[in-house]
Amino acid sequence: MAPSLTLRAALALLACLACTAAKAEAWQADQNSGTLDFVATQAGARFQGHFREFAVRLDFDSLLPANARLDVTITMRSADTADADRDEVLHGADFFSVAQFPRAEYHAAGFKRDGKAWVASGMLTLRGVTKPLIVRFELEPSSSELRMKGSSTVQRLEFGVGQGEWASTAWIGNPVDVDFDLRLRPATVAASP
Amino acid sequence: MPVQQTPARYGSVAQTLHWVIVGLLIVQFTLASIADDLPNGLEKLITLARHKSVGITILSLAILRLCWRLVERPPPLPPMSRWQAVAARISHAALYTLLFAMPLTGWMMSSASNYPVSWFGLVQLPDLVAPDPALKRLLHEVHETLSKILIAFAGLHVAGALKHQFLDRDGLMFRMLPWRPR
Repeated sequence: MAPSLTLRAALALLACLACTAAKAEAWQADQNSGTLDFVATQAGARFQGHFREFAVRLDFDSLLPANARLDVTITMRSADTADADRDEVLHGADFFSVAQFPRAEYHAAGFKRDGKAWVASGMLTLRGVTKPLIVRFELEPSSSELRMKGSSTVQRLEFGVGQGEWASTAWIGNPVDVDFDLRLRPATVAASP
Repeated sequence: MPVQQTPARYGSVAQTLHWVIVGLLIVQFTLASIADDLPNGLEKLITLARHKSVGITILSLAILRLCWRLVERPPPLPPMSRWQAVAARISHAALYTLLFAMPLTGWMMSSASNYPVSWFGLVQLPDLVAPDPALKRLLHEVHETLSKILIAFAGLHVAGALKHQFLDRDGLMFRMLPWRPR
Protein backbone atom coordinates (compact mmCIF):
# COMPACT_ATOMS: atom_id res chain seq x y z
CA MET A 1 0.00 0.00 0.00
CA ALA A 2 1.37 3.40 -1.02
CA PRO A 3 1.86 5.98 1.71
CA SER A 4 -1.31 7.97 2.29
CA LEU A 5 -1.55 11.54 1.16
CA THR A 6 -1.64 12.67 4.80
CA LEU A 7 1.59 10.92 5.62
CA ARG A 8 3.29 12.35 2.57
CA ALA A 9 2.10 15.83 3.45
CA ALA A 10 3.32 15.37 6.99
CA LEU A 11 6.74 14.27 5.77
CA ALA A 12 6.94 17.20 3.42
CA LEU A 13 6.05 19.58 6.24
CA LEU A 14 8.65 18.00 8.50
CA ALA A 15 11.30 18.36 5.84
CA CYS A 16 10.34 21.96 5.37
CA LEU A 17 10.44 22.64 9.13
CA ALA A 18 13.85 21.02 9.36
CA CYS A 19 15.23 23.20 6.61
CA THR A 20 13.77 26.40 8.07
CA ALA A 21 15.02 25.48 11.54
CA ALA A 22 18.45 24.91 10.10
CA LYS A 23 18.55 28.52 8.94
CA ALA A 24 16.69 30.09 11.86
CA GLU A 25 17.35 33.72 11.34
CA ALA A 26 19.67 35.65 13.62
CA TRP A 27 18.98 39.31 14.16
CA GLN A 28 20.63 42.06 16.10
CA ALA A 29 20.11 45.63 17.26
CA ASP A 30 21.77 48.17 19.51
CA GLN A 31 21.41 51.81 20.61
CA ASN A 32 21.95 52.93 17.01
CA SER A 33 19.02 50.96 15.70
CA GLY A 34 16.48 51.30 18.47
CA THR A 35 15.50 52.70 21.83
CA LEU A 36 15.39 51.13 25.26
CA ASP A 37 13.53 53.35 27.71
CA PHE A 38 12.36 53.05 31.28
CA VAL A 39 9.58 54.88 33.07
CA ALA A 40 9.73 55.17 36.85
CA THR A 41 7.61 57.00 39.40
CA GLN A 42 9.09 59.65 41.62
CA ALA A 43 7.06 61.71 44.12
CA GLY A 44 3.89 60.63 42.34
CA ALA A 45 5.10 61.68 38.90
CA ARG A 46 6.21 59.37 36.11
CA PHE A 47 9.44 60.26 34.34
CA GLN A 48 11.32 58.64 31.49
CA GLY A 49 14.93 57.68 31.11
CA HIS A 50 16.79 55.61 28.54
CA PHE A 51 19.87 53.45 28.08
CA ARG A 52 22.48 54.87 25.75
CA GLU A 53 24.24 51.53 25.29
CA PHE A 54 22.76 48.07 24.85
CA ALA A 55 22.87 45.07 22.53
CA VAL A 56 20.06 42.77 21.47
CA ARG A 57 20.35 39.47 19.66
CA LEU A 58 17.38 37.51 18.49
CA ASP A 59 17.28 34.03 16.96
CA PHE A 60 13.84 33.59 15.60
CA ASP A 61 11.84 31.45 13.25
CA SER A 62 8.11 32.04 13.31
CA LEU A 63 7.50 28.34 12.55
CA LEU A 64 9.57 27.23 15.52
CA PRO A 65 8.98 29.80 18.24
CA ALA A 66 9.92 27.24 20.88
CA ASN A 67 13.49 27.39 19.54
CA ALA A 68 13.68 31.17 19.60
CA ARG A 69 16.29 32.94 21.70
CA LEU A 70 16.47 36.50 22.96
CA ASP A 71 19.65 37.84 24.53
CA VAL A 72 19.96 41.42 25.76
CA THR A 73 22.94 43.11 27.39
CA ILE A 74 22.59 46.59 28.88
CA THR A 75 25.47 48.82 29.97
CA MET A 76 24.11 50.21 33.24
CA ARG A 77 26.40 53.24 33.27
CA SER A 78 24.58 54.39 30.15
CA ALA A 79 21.32 54.94 32.07
CA ASP A 80 20.37 58.54 31.33
CA THR A 81 17.50 60.52 32.86
CA ALA A 82 18.50 63.97 31.53
CA ASP A 83 19.49 65.13 35.02
CA ALA A 84 23.12 64.77 36.15
CA ASP A 85 22.26 64.71 39.88
CA ARG A 86 19.71 61.96 39.49
CA ASP A 87 21.95 59.95 37.14
CA GLU A 88 24.73 60.10 39.74
CA VAL A 89 22.40 58.58 42.36
CA LEU A 90 21.06 56.05 39.83
CA HIS A 91 24.55 54.83 38.90
CA GLY A 92 25.64 54.83 42.55
CA ALA A 93 25.82 52.00 45.07
CA ASP A 94 22.20 52.35 46.25
CA PHE A 95 20.69 51.87 42.80
CA PHE A 96 22.45 50.22 39.87
CA SER A 97 25.85 50.10 41.56
CA VAL A 98 27.48 50.20 38.13
CA ALA A 99 31.05 49.84 39.44
CA GLN A 100 30.19 46.44 40.89
CA PHE A 101 27.50 45.40 38.37
CA PRO A 102 28.36 47.06 35.06
CA ARG A 103 25.85 45.12 32.99
CA ALA A 104 22.31 43.83 33.17
CA GLU A 105 21.40 40.80 31.08
CA TYR A 106 18.23 39.20 29.87
CA HIS A 107 18.07 35.73 28.35
CA ALA A 108 14.96 33.96 27.14
CA ALA A 109 14.55 30.74 25.21
CA GLY A 110 11.27 29.91 23.49
CA PHE A 111 8.46 32.36 22.78
CA LYS A 112 4.73 31.86 23.15
CA ARG A 113 1.99 33.45 21.08
CA ASP A 114 -0.56 35.70 22.76
CA GLY A 115 -2.84 37.20 20.15
CA LYS A 116 -0.66 39.37 17.94
CA ALA A 117 2.12 39.49 20.50
CA TRP A 118 4.94 37.19 21.45
CA VAL A 119 5.70 36.45 25.07
CA ALA A 120 9.18 35.57 26.31
CA SER A 121 9.61 34.13 29.79
CA GLY A 122 13.28 34.67 30.52
CA MET A 123 15.65 35.57 33.30
CA LEU A 124 16.83 39.09 34.06
CA THR A 125 20.11 39.63 35.87
CA LEU A 126 20.18 43.10 37.37
CA ARG A 127 22.48 44.33 40.13
CA GLY A 128 23.72 40.78 40.54
CA VAL A 129 20.26 39.32 41.15
CA THR A 130 18.69 36.89 38.65
CA LYS A 131 14.89 36.59 38.56
CA PRO A 132 12.27 35.59 36.01
CA LEU A 133 10.88 38.35 33.84
CA ILE A 134 8.16 38.24 31.23
CA VAL A 135 8.63 40.41 28.14
CA ARG A 136 5.85 41.02 25.60
CA PHE A 137 6.54 42.26 22.11
CA GLU A 138 5.36 42.33 18.55
CA LEU A 139 7.46 41.48 15.55
CA GLU A 140 6.86 43.17 12.23
CA PRO A 141 9.04 41.98 9.40
CA SER A 142 9.81 44.25 6.48
CA SER A 143 12.10 43.75 3.50
CA SER A 144 15.40 44.09 5.33
CA GLU A 145 14.45 44.67 8.95
CA LEU A 146 12.52 43.09 11.75
CA ARG A 147 10.81 45.60 13.96
CA MET A 148 10.55 44.51 17.58
CA LYS A 149 8.42 46.66 19.83
CA GLY A 150 7.37 45.75 23.31
CA SER A 151 7.56 46.23 27.02
CA SER A 152 7.97 44.68 30.40
CA THR A 153 7.65 45.74 34.01
CA VAL A 154 10.46 45.26 36.48
CA GLN A 155 9.80 45.40 40.22
CA ARG A 156 12.99 47.25 41.14
CA LEU A 157 13.08 46.05 44.75
CA GLU A 158 13.19 42.38 43.67
CA PHE A 159 16.63 43.19 42.31
CA GLY A 160 17.75 45.41 45.18
CA VAL A 161 17.59 48.54 43.04
CA GLY A 162 17.07 51.14 45.79
CA GLN A 163 18.92 50.37 48.99
CA GLY A 164 18.54 51.91 52.43
CA GLU A 165 16.19 54.90 52.44
CA TRP A 166 15.43 54.28 48.75
CA ALA A 167 13.86 50.90 49.50
CA SER A 168 10.69 52.69 50.59
CA THR A 169 8.09 52.93 47.84
CA ALA A 170 6.47 56.02 49.36
CA TRP A 171 8.46 58.37 47.10
CA ILE A 172 9.98 56.05 44.48
CA GLY A 173 7.55 53.51 43.06
CA ASN A 174 8.49 49.84 42.89
CA PRO A 175 7.32 49.02 39.33
CA VAL A 176 9.49 50.37 36.53
CA ASP A 177 8.17 50.01 33.01
CA VAL A 178 10.66 49.14 30.31
CA ASP A 179 9.78 49.94 26.70
CA PHE A 180 11.75 49.10 23.62
CA ASP A 181 11.41 49.75 19.94
CA LEU A 182 14.10 48.07 17.86
CA ARG A 183 14.88 47.74 14.19
CA LEU A 184 16.66 44.42 14.06
CA ARG A 185 19.03 43.66 11.20
CA PRO A 186 20.45 40.33 10.17
CA ALA A 187 23.22 39.42 12.58
CA THR A 188 26.71 39.80 11.20
CA VAL A 189 28.71 38.50 14.15
CA ALA A 190 28.72 35.22 16.01
CA ALA A 191 26.17 34.51 18.69
CA SER A 192 26.46 36.57 21.87
CA PRO A 193 28.00 34.86 24.92
CA MET B 1 -15.94 115.28 59.65
CA PRO B 2 -14.62 112.25 61.57
CA VAL B 3 -10.96 112.60 62.50
CA GLN B 4 -10.16 109.13 61.45
CA GLN B 5 -12.06 107.71 58.58
CA THR B 6 -12.70 103.99 58.68
CA PRO B 7 -11.76 102.85 55.21
CA ALA B 8 -13.72 100.24 53.30
CA ARG B 9 -12.07 96.84 53.45
CA TYR B 10 -11.53 93.82 51.31
CA GLY B 11 -14.19 91.12 51.55
CA SER B 12 -13.63 87.87 53.39
CA VAL B 13 -12.75 85.94 50.19
CA ALA B 14 -10.05 88.40 49.13
CA GLN B 15 -8.71 88.57 52.69
CA THR B 16 -8.59 84.78 53.07
CA LEU B 17 -6.77 84.41 49.75
CA HIS B 18 -4.31 87.15 50.70
CA TRP B 19 -3.37 85.65 54.06
CA VAL B 20 -3.33 82.01 52.93
CA ILE B 21 -0.93 82.99 50.12
CA VAL B 22 1.24 84.90 52.63
CA GLY B 23 1.42 81.77 54.80
CA LEU B 24 2.21 79.52 51.83
CA LEU B 25 4.93 81.91 50.60
CA ILE B 26 6.64 81.62 53.98
CA VAL B 27 6.40 77.81 53.67
CA GLN B 28 7.88 78.07 50.14
CA PHE B 29 10.90 80.11 51.15
CA THR B 30 11.50 77.78 54.11
CA LEU B 31 11.31 74.62 51.96
CA ALA B 32 13.54 76.15 49.28
CA SER B 33 16.25 77.11 51.77
CA ILE B 34 16.07 73.68 53.42
CA ALA B 35 16.40 71.97 50.02
CA ASP B 36 19.35 74.20 49.03
CA ASP B 37 21.32 72.98 52.05
CA LEU B 38 20.51 69.29 51.59
CA PRO B 39 22.83 66.87 49.79
CA ASN B 40 21.52 64.91 46.82
CA GLY B 41 19.20 62.32 48.33
CA LEU B 42 15.72 61.27 49.28
CA GLU B 43 15.21 64.08 51.77
CA LYS B 44 16.01 66.67 49.11
CA LEU B 45 13.66 64.93 46.69
CA ILE B 46 10.84 65.00 49.25
CA THR B 47 11.47 68.63 50.23
CA LEU B 48 11.46 69.74 46.60
CA ALA B 49 8.36 67.67 45.83
CA ARG B 50 6.54 69.50 48.64
CA HIS B 51 7.92 72.83 47.43
CA LYS B 52 6.45 72.09 43.99
CA SER B 53 3.07 71.01 45.39
CA VAL B 54 2.83 74.19 47.48
CA GLY B 55 3.94 76.23 44.46
CA ILE B 56 1.15 74.79 42.32
CA THR B 57 -1.28 75.53 45.16
CA ILE B 58 -0.12 79.16 45.20
CA LEU B 59 -0.48 79.37 41.42
CA SER B 60 -4.07 78.07 41.66
CA LEU B 61 -4.89 80.50 44.47
CA ALA B 62 -3.32 83.38 42.50
CA ILE B 63 -5.56 82.56 39.52
CA LEU B 64 -8.57 82.43 41.85
CA ARG B 65 -7.55 85.70 43.45
CA LEU B 66 -7.13 87.52 40.17
CA CYS B 67 -10.55 86.28 39.02
CA TRP B 68 -12.09 87.33 42.31
CA ARG B 69 -10.55 90.79 41.98
CA LEU B 70 -12.54 91.22 38.77
CA VAL B 71 -15.75 90.22 40.58
CA GLU B 72 -15.19 92.24 43.73
CA ARG B 73 -13.17 95.39 43.10
CA PRO B 74 -10.63 96.35 45.80
CA PRO B 75 -11.81 99.08 48.19
CA PRO B 76 -10.51 102.57 47.39
CA LEU B 77 -7.22 103.67 48.90
CA PRO B 78 -7.34 106.22 51.72
CA PRO B 79 -6.35 109.74 50.64
CA MET B 80 -2.69 109.90 49.73
CA SER B 81 -0.39 111.72 47.39
CA ARG B 82 -0.38 110.81 43.76
CA TRP B 83 3.12 109.26 43.76
CA GLN B 84 2.14 107.08 46.70
CA ALA B 85 -0.96 105.81 44.90
CA VAL B 86 1.12 105.11 41.78
CA ALA B 87 3.80 103.33 43.83
CA ALA B 88 1.14 101.19 45.50
CA ARG B 89 -0.31 100.29 42.12
CA ILE B 90 3.07 99.34 40.69
CA SER B 91 4.04 97.22 43.69
CA HIS B 92 0.67 95.44 43.69
CA ALA B 93 1.03 94.70 39.97
CA ALA B 94 4.57 93.43 40.58
CA LEU B 95 3.41 91.17 43.42
CA TYR B 96 0.64 89.71 41.28
CA THR B 97 3.05 89.16 38.39
CA LEU B 98 5.48 87.38 40.72
CA LEU B 99 2.70 85.19 42.16
CA PHE B 100 2.37 83.80 38.64
CA ALA B 101 5.99 84.01 37.48
CA MET B 102 7.46 82.21 40.49
CA PRO B 103 5.43 78.98 40.22
CA LEU B 104 5.53 79.00 36.41
CA THR B 105 9.32 79.31 36.21
CA GLY B 106 9.59 76.63 38.93
CA TRP B 107 7.29 74.32 36.99
CA MET B 108 9.25 74.96 33.76
CA MET B 109 12.50 74.32 35.61
CA SER B 110 11.17 71.02 36.91
CA SER B 111 10.06 70.00 33.41
CA ALA B 112 13.44 71.03 31.96
CA SER B 113 15.21 68.77 34.46
CA ASN B 114 12.89 65.85 33.61
CA TYR B 115 11.18 65.88 36.99
CA PRO B 116 7.50 66.08 36.03
CA VAL B 117 5.50 67.94 38.67
CA SER B 118 2.91 66.17 40.76
CA TRP B 119 0.48 67.96 43.05
CA PHE B 120 0.90 66.16 46.38
CA GLY B 121 1.21 62.83 44.56
CA LEU B 122 -2.43 63.08 43.46
CA VAL B 123 -2.26 64.61 39.99
CA GLN B 124 0.63 64.63 37.56
CA LEU B 125 0.84 67.91 35.68
CA PRO B 126 1.89 68.15 32.04
CA ASP B 127 5.46 69.17 31.24
CA LEU B 128 5.82 72.78 30.10
CA VAL B 129 9.12 72.24 28.28
CA ALA B 130 11.17 69.26 27.12
CA PRO B 131 14.08 68.03 29.25
CA ASP B 132 17.08 70.29 28.66
CA PRO B 133 19.91 70.65 31.23
CA ALA B 134 21.06 74.05 29.88
CA LEU B 135 17.54 75.46 30.01
CA LYS B 136 17.18 74.06 33.52
CA ARG B 137 20.26 75.97 34.70
CA LEU B 138 18.93 79.17 33.14
CA LEU B 139 15.49 78.72 34.70
CA HIS B 140 17.09 78.00 38.07
CA GLU B 141 18.81 81.41 37.87
CA VAL B 142 15.59 83.11 36.82
CA HIS B 143 13.55 81.40 39.56
CA GLU B 144 16.09 82.41 42.20
CA THR B 145 16.38 85.99 40.95
CA LEU B 146 12.59 86.33 40.90
CA SER B 147 12.47 85.08 44.49
CA LYS B 148 14.81 87.91 45.51
CA ILE B 149 12.66 90.43 43.63
CA LEU B 150 9.60 88.98 45.41
CA ILE B 151 11.26 89.45 48.79
CA ALA B 152 12.08 93.07 47.84
CA PHE B 153 8.50 93.87 46.76
CA ALA B 154 6.98 92.02 49.72
CA GLY B 155 9.26 94.04 52.02
CA LEU B 156 8.17 97.27 50.32
CA HIS B 157 4.52 96.18 50.61
CA VAL B 158 4.86 95.50 54.36
CA ALA B 159 6.86 98.69 54.93
CA GLY B 160 4.17 100.71 53.13
CA ALA B 161 1.38 99.12 55.17
CA LEU B 162 3.24 99.76 58.43
CA LYS B 163 4.00 103.37 57.45
CA HIS B 164 0.29 104.01 56.78
CA GLN B 165 -0.67 102.31 60.01
CA PHE B 166 1.79 103.87 62.41
CA LEU B 167 2.97 107.12 60.80
CA ASP B 168 0.02 108.27 58.71
CA ARG B 169 -2.47 106.56 61.05
CA ASP B 170 -4.98 106.39 58.19
CA GLY B 171 -6.17 102.86 59.07
CA LEU B 172 -5.12 101.49 55.66
CA MET B 173 -4.01 98.17 57.13
CA PHE B 174 -7.55 97.40 58.36
CA ARG B 175 -8.55 97.03 54.72
CA MET B 176 -6.88 93.62 54.82
CA LEU B 177 -7.61 92.64 58.45
CA PRO B 178 -10.67 90.84 59.75
CA TRP B 179 -11.08 92.99 62.86
CA ARG B 180 -12.17 96.62 63.10
CA PRO B 181 -10.00 99.46 64.31
CA ARG B 182 -10.51 100.46 67.91
